[in-house]
This record gives sequence, structure tokens and C-alpha cells, in this order.
Amino acid sequence: MNTLLHVRNLKTYFNTEAGIVKAVDGVSYHLKEGETLGLVGESGCGKSVSALSILRLIPNPPGKIMDGEVIFEGRDLLKMSEDEIQEIRGNRIAMVFQEPMTSLNPVLTIGLQIGEVLELHRYLPREEAKEEVRRLLKMVGIPDAERRIDDYPHQFSGGMRQRVMIAMALSCNPKLLIADEPTTAVDVTIQAQLLEIIKELTARLGTAVILITHNLGVVARYVNRMAVMYAGRIVESGPAVTVYHHPRHPYTIGLLGSVPRLDQPRKERLIPIEGQPPNLLHLPPGCSFYPRCAHRFTRCAGERPELRNVGTEHLVACFADF
Amino acid sequence: MPDDILIEAKKLTMYFPITKGIIRQRKVAEVKAVDGVDFYVRRGETLGLVGESGCGKTTLGRCLTQLIRPSAGEVYFEGLNLCQLREDQLRSVRQGMQFIFQDPFDSLDPRMAAGEIVAEPLRVHTRIRGRALREKVAFLLRVVGLEPSMAERYPHEFSGGQRQRLGIARALSIRPKFIVCDEPLSALDVSIQAQIINLLEDLQAEFELTYLFIAHDLSVVRHISHRVAVMYLGKIVEIANRNDLYLSARHPYTVALLSAVPIPDPLVEASRERIILSGDPPSPIAIPSGCNFHPRCPLAIEACREMKPPLVEIAPGHMVACLVRGRTS
Repeated sequence: MNTLLHVRNLKTYFNTEAGIVKAVDGVSYHLKEGETLGLVGESGCGKSVSALSILRLIPNPPGKIMDGEVIFEGRDLLKMSEDEIQEIRGNRIAMVFQEPMTSLNPVLTIGLQIGEVLELHRYLPREEAKEEVRRLLKMVGIPDAERRIDDYPHQFSGGMRQRVMIAMALSCNPKLLIADEPTTAVDVTIQAQLLEIIKELTARLGTAVILITHNLGVVARYVNRMAVMYAGRIVESGPAVTVYHHPRHPYTIGLLGSVPRLDQPRKERLIPIEGQPPNLLHLPPGCSFYPRCAHRFTRCAGERPELRNVGTEHLVACFADF
Repeated sequence: MPDDILIEAKKLTMYFPITKGIIRQRKVAEVKAVDGVDFYVRRGETLGLVGESGCGKTTLGRCLTQLIRPSAGEVYFEGLNLCQLREDQLRSVRQGMQFIFQDPFDSLDPRMAAGEIVAEPLRVHTRIRGRALREKVAFLLRVVGLEPSMAERYPHEFSGGQRQRLGIARALSIRPKFIVCDEPLSALDVSIQAQIINLLEDLQAEFELTYLFIAHDLSVVRHISHRVAVMYLGKIVEIANRNDLYLSARHPYTVALLSAVPIPDPLVEASRERIILSGDPPSPIAIPSGCNFHPRCPLAIEACREMKPPLVEIAPGHMVACLVRGRTS
């Protein structure tokens, strides 16, 4: 399959009063057409910023994309003019955010909001747009779509609002959907509904997905490949099965080992990753994970490990071999 | 009441009125946050309380500790009916009960140094002052894995996990018997959650604590709890020992909840059947007739529309409120 997206050496920094925060510091990954990639990591690891950088949605100031390439369908999004990237946003690449209430306009009806997207991007006349909105709402499983088209966002539950966001995102048949923690604000039973919808619809439309999440379980069920981020860098990437069954980076190993699992007998004691999450203002000179690493040695303190190949499509940024 | 029960709720009920009007307020509806709940927690045990947002689990924790006075029902703490006590009488009882909150950012006063935060309950409830107080604070900080020298720092200088440790030190300061942990992990990073879980377990063993552990993450609840109660729209629908609940859940809601939890293993997930519940949890203002769960229930029968199922013991210690599956096997 063809490569749809290629991110190379992306660097996004934020200028703060306390100093420069290297939120994304040299991230590279690629995505094939129709593929689902999971971007996993804890808060502040740069997973959202790296995705927002793809569409150049980083507020400047304080943020700035310092370096790198984002090749999408053969063109570098970072070199496009504002008008050109506007054509891509919402059209070829769509996004679903974590909090649907803040991404929807509270004073417009759901029908008008989705209709606006269709008029702007697909140039549909108003009546046709309305018909299409009905179809989209039905597609994401909103019951009684005929009537609810004239409702306002506050009349929808959290899960239903997120369905509206998914309908809106998919309304222009994008080639790529970026879902940034799409289920973090909803309950588990609703989370399951939403992820199934995203999976089913993107498979039907042939849309590639970048699924950003901190939930290791979500990634396991819904992605083909995954990349684990820590302190602004990818520390491990590969096919999901490989990363889950043969994790090589001490951070990935620690993360997988520290969560209790429902399908296994209860462990007497959890094995946590010691220490605190990194402060991006004061990263150690060598490996960012060094202070918390259970397998560190002297080389890690002074030298930063680059990603290296350890198996089929399996990359790890660690000096140690397990 | 058997001796080993520390706290027990009987028909505990909390309805919040919804009022209309500015000058003369009239009650137009009620939010039935907690609706006639019975349960107990044994001494030294952890009772997990799971349910989705809005099911009333936080309100239940607050009613239990009388942070809000329940609208009906009784709470017995060491045999004493708390609901009949006046505010001033409650004060001494409150020493025995503490709260650990969800958000370590909102629940610590940003203008108080860490040492002050931990010392405050001691100043209120005890006569410890001066050097003894400073030593006690240093001891508490060490117990939760912080440096005594951090007493001078302010909350914003701590990370989320450290803040939660501070909240735990504050809760421990007056040696409570019972702690309500209200979603103590949900604001924390995955890698920090295990640290706090281990800390809570260690403290339970060391100080003989009893926990009510409120959470929505079922895998964490299984790990930390001895018994687990499942709540749906203000009612407990199933309560059982940890293993009974996870291995032989009876209530269709519990079954669906367990099935919705994703397992961090692609191969397991690929072969796993999932029950996807349709619809959203209804609002606690407009509670359905009959069984609260029947509009979403895959097993609902005609009778479920009319009858509220009672909580029935189907095996020793395993209670289920379901007309279809709540029979002794």
C-alpha cells in the first residue's frame, strides 16, 4: 500500500517564560493508506502537539514548528501557504478532539454546523447539505436523526456529541482522521460504542487513522501499528502485536507491566515505574527516561539513543538489548 | 450488628431538589442521586464502588461521611447512627473518617505550604503543636514517600502524583479508620497510578485502614478491592467478592461493563466478544419505570418495565438486583 503520510524529524517548541519547552523534539513516523496508527504516551509527552503540528494548528506564539517535514500525498504541509493548508484541513485530513462540548458551537444547531462543513468543503447547496447531514447522523448511529438535526449541542449527551464530531469529521471523506483522545471524556460503555463506530466507518471509507491515547487497552484493540512517546520523542514503534508481546524499551515494558489486567489473575503487587514524569524544561542531557529507568547504565546519562531497527518494522531508542 | 462491620448504610437516600423561580422557589423535580442503598464495609477491607459518571457514586461517598446530609436512611459508623447526630456531635466522629479527592490540583490550597496542608487537620482535631507537630508532619511526608524537606514547598511545585501523595498524607494525619478514596487515580498518569495503588495498599496494612474506593476503572478496582459494588443510576445492582464479581458476574450491566474494558493485548482483543450497550445512561432526573437499567438491557423482559428488582443474595455474599439473572443458581 502507498504511504499516505510521512512525518520526518518534526520539532515543535514552545517559548515560555521559564524557557523553551521542546514539546516535540525530532519525531518521525509514517502511515499507509487506510492504516490505523496509535500514538501512545502520558500527558505532556507531545502526542497531541505532534498531531496538531501536522495541520499547523499550533498557536504561534508561543508555539513554533522549528524543523521537519510532513509529507501528505506527496506534498509538504509545512511548506504550504495558509490558503492551501486550509483546503487540506477538515477536507483531506479531519480531526476529532477530546472534549466535544468545547469543539461544538453552542448557539448553532447540529444540522447547521455539519451543514456548514458540507457547504464550505463540498460546495453542496443548502437543501442537499441538509439531506446529507441526515445521512451522516444516521451513519454514526444517532437515534431519531430526523428530529435531532435541529437540536443544539447541549441537548446531546457527551457520547452523542462525540458522534456528531465523528460525523462532521467524516463528512468530507477525508484520507486521514486524527482522533485526539476521542474517548477520554466519556464512560467505558460509551467509549466502546464510539471506538467501534470509528473503526467501522473508517474501514468502510478507507480512511487512515491516527489514534492518540494514553489508554493502552484502546490501542491494543484498534490499531495496526503504534508509536510510544516519551518527553517529546518516539521511544518505540512497531506493529501493535510486536510492541505488546515483545516490548524492548524499558518505558514500554514498565508501562505494560504497571497496569492491572482484567484477563489475567490478580497480581499481588503492581510494579510501578519509579520517579516522576519528566519536566520538559529540564530534560537530562542523555536519554530522557534515564532518571526512571530500571536498566540504565552510564552511557545513557550522557548520550541520547536514536531509534534503531530491532526487528520487522520494530524500532527502539535504547542502548540496552534485552 | 457483627463486630467486624465498620460502617453500614441502610436505605441511604439522597435526592437533590430542582427548583424553579427566583423569589419563591418551588420544587419541580428531584435528582435521585442515591436511591435507597444498603451495604456495609468490614474493618480493614476495601470496598470498590464502580459505575459510570452520574451514577451517584461520589454522592454516596459524601453521604456516608456526612459531608452532605442524606435525605433519608441511616449510616452506622462503629454502631453510631451518624444521621441522627448534630453537626457539633459529628465533629469528633469525623476524625475517624477522611476523604482523598480525585483532583490533587483542586483539593489543595495553593497558598498553603505542603507542611501546613498536612498539619491543618492536626491543628483542628488535636492539641499537637510546635516541634511535635513538625515532627509528625515530617513523619507523615516520609510515610507517603515524600521528603520531609518538601514541607516548605507549595502545591504548584509538585507533580500530580506528588500532590496526590500530599492529599493522602493529609488524610492520614489524624489516624482515621475509614477513608473514602474518590477516584484518586483518574487525574494521574498511567505510570504514576501503580505507585499510588501500592502506597494505598501499604498504608492499609500498616495503619489498619478501611477504604471505600470509588473508581470507574474496573481493572484497578479489581486489583485493590476485596469486595466490589456496582452502581447504576443511584442503585447498587450487584455486590460481591472480588473474584465472584469478575469471574461470575450476574447482572447484565456488570457483564457489559466488564466486557467494555479494553485489555492491553492485541491478540486477546482480537478474539474477544464484546457486548456493546446501546444508548446512554438515562438522566437521574427522569429515572425509568421498573428496573433502572431496562431501557439498555439486552435481557429485559416485560416484568422489568414495571418492577424494581430487589437486591437478592444468590450465593453467599453475592447480591444481585435483576429479575432475570438474580435467582439462586
